[in-house]
Parts: sequence; structure tokens; C-alpha cells
Amino acid sequence: MIRRIHDLDELEEIGADAEISRALAALDPVSRDPNYWLRFRWWVISAAAPELARRRRGVSLTIGDVVESWARALVPTAALVAALAGLLLLRSESAADWPPIGVEEVLLSEVEGNQIPIDVASLSFAAEIF
Amino acid sequence: MNTSSMPSDSELVRRARKGDEIAFGMLVQRYQRPAYAVALSVTGRHEDAEDAAQESFLVALDRLDECRSPERFGGWLMTIVRNRSKNLVRRESLRETDELPPGARSRMPTPDRTAEAAELREMLRQALSELPEVQRQVVLLHDLEGWKHREIAERLDLPCGTVRSHLHFARKALRAALERVPGMPERMRVAQ
Repeated sequence: MIRRIHDLDELEEIGADAEISRALAALDPVSRDPNYWLRFRWWVISAAAPELARRRRGVSLTIGDVVESWARALVPTAALVAALAGLLLLRSESAADWPPIGVEEVLLSEVEGNQIPIDVASLSFAAEIF
Repeated sequence: MNTSSMPSDSELVRRARKGDEIAFGMLVQRYQRPAYAVALSVTGRHEDAEDAAQESFLVALDRLDECRSPERFGGWLMTIVRNRSKNLVRRESLRETDELPPGARSRMPTPDRTAEAAELREMLRQALSELPEVQRQVVLLHDLEGWKHREIAERLDLPCGTVRSHLHFARKALRAALERVPGMPERMRVAQ
């Protein structure tokens, strides 16, 4: 109950004091210049124009330009990476099918895990024929 | 202050952050008078109050992304206004150390329509200068700008009861000060 009374007291608005309000109205710049607040606002908005324009530019960049510039850089990079990846894949596949063995290795020493091909054993050189 | 047909502070702040000139203009229109009143309560001079209030809007725009509670833009702006006004007074006092005595610091280059109006303003300035700063803010926001004490409490970050108390004492002191001036009570009644 006490709390309720306190709340009501808090909510109770003190009425305007007409005489003081009238006296204080003399401090309102409008009492000297009817267009004062219009000029005030105009000045603030004019001075704020560069910052507002900067903010507008910032907003348009995030929506359009930034995405476009990302795409401009991203698409060629992705294409290049894809091409490189494809090339590497092809090379690794071909390397797996045909392990590189030099002729000298085939002729002079055994390659571990590989038999000398039968065709190589029957090789004859031109010098032996003539 | 905000009605349902008008965009809320948070909506205007959101739009102003994106550079919406109309939204920023609406914020200026909504808070130019209280900003001026708060600045006047600190500086005591029209020109300084004007400078501080205008600069505060520009500072607020620069720092708009730092306004964490856009729905409480008014209170946030008033803090900027108070700080800017105090800085301005500090700078001015460093420049004008040996000029006019306190309470008679007015410099009014704007031509007044009547000598009486200028005199009334000067009397009010003197009377207000004798009040604590917070009481000046409260009485100007309430009796000049027409804010409710709950709005003042919210924007100056004060308890409602404190606002009412400040308003009561400010009025009492203001009235007493003005009553001391010969012919002032009558002039107050006929003043526009």
C-alpha cells in the first residue's frame, strides 16, 4: 500500500508554472528570431552533409560494390585454383600408371619389385648385327 | 514526446546511421530545443549554448555507431551536450580570465527588439546563474521546453523524485530572485 502511494506520488506531474514559463520564454531564441530553429536545423544538416554522404557511400558499398568487387577477384582466382587442381590431379594419375624408370636402371640393375621386361632381354643392338 | 505516428528514436537512429538526411533532420528537430536548453543551463550564454548544441549534433552523428541504446538517443545526446558545453565554458574561462564578474557575463551581439526584453533576459540569466546546474537544466527543460518530469528523469538519468525536487527548488529560487528585481513581477506577467 505504501509502495502504491509512493508510485502515485512519483507519477504525479508537477503542473506548469505559467509565470515562470512566460518569463523563461524570453530566453527562447524564437523571441528574437521567429526562424531561429529553422536556421539552426539548416546549419546542423549542412554541416553534417559530408558525414551523411560518407555513411550513404558506406552502405551502398556493402550491398553492391563490395559483392561485385569480391566476385571480380574471386572468380578468376577460383578458376585458376580449379585449373591448377585439375592439372595436379592429371599429373598424379599419370604418375601412378607409369612409374618413371630410367633405361640405365632397367639395363644395369634390378628395380626393386619389378622384373626386367621380357622384351628388354631380347634386345639386340645395331652394333651386334653389323 | 513520441507519438505512434512519428518514427521512434531508434528507427531514426537506424536510418541516420545509413546516412538518411531526413531521419537525421528529424532527430535534430526533435532535440534541438532541449539540447539548446541544456547547453544554456551550462554556459549561461546564448552564443555558447548555440555553438555547443549545434556541435553536439555533429559529434552525435560522428559517434552514432557508439550509441548502444538507440531508443535512449535523447539521454545519450544530452550527455554529449553537457560535456561539450562544459568544455566550451572551460575554454572560454581560460580566455576571459579577467573580464566581467560571474553573473554579468552576457554578450548579446544580436540586436534586441526592446530594451525591456533584453533586461528581462539579463535578469533571468542572473537568476539562473545562481541555481545549481542540474536545477537550471530541470527548470529550463520543464518550464521552457515543456518536458514532463519523467522525460527529464529519463534523459538526464535522474530519479523522478529528484527531478521534482529540483524543479520545486529551482522555481522557488527563480521566483525569489525575480521578485527582488523592482518591477519584475509585473513584467513577468506581461512578458510574451
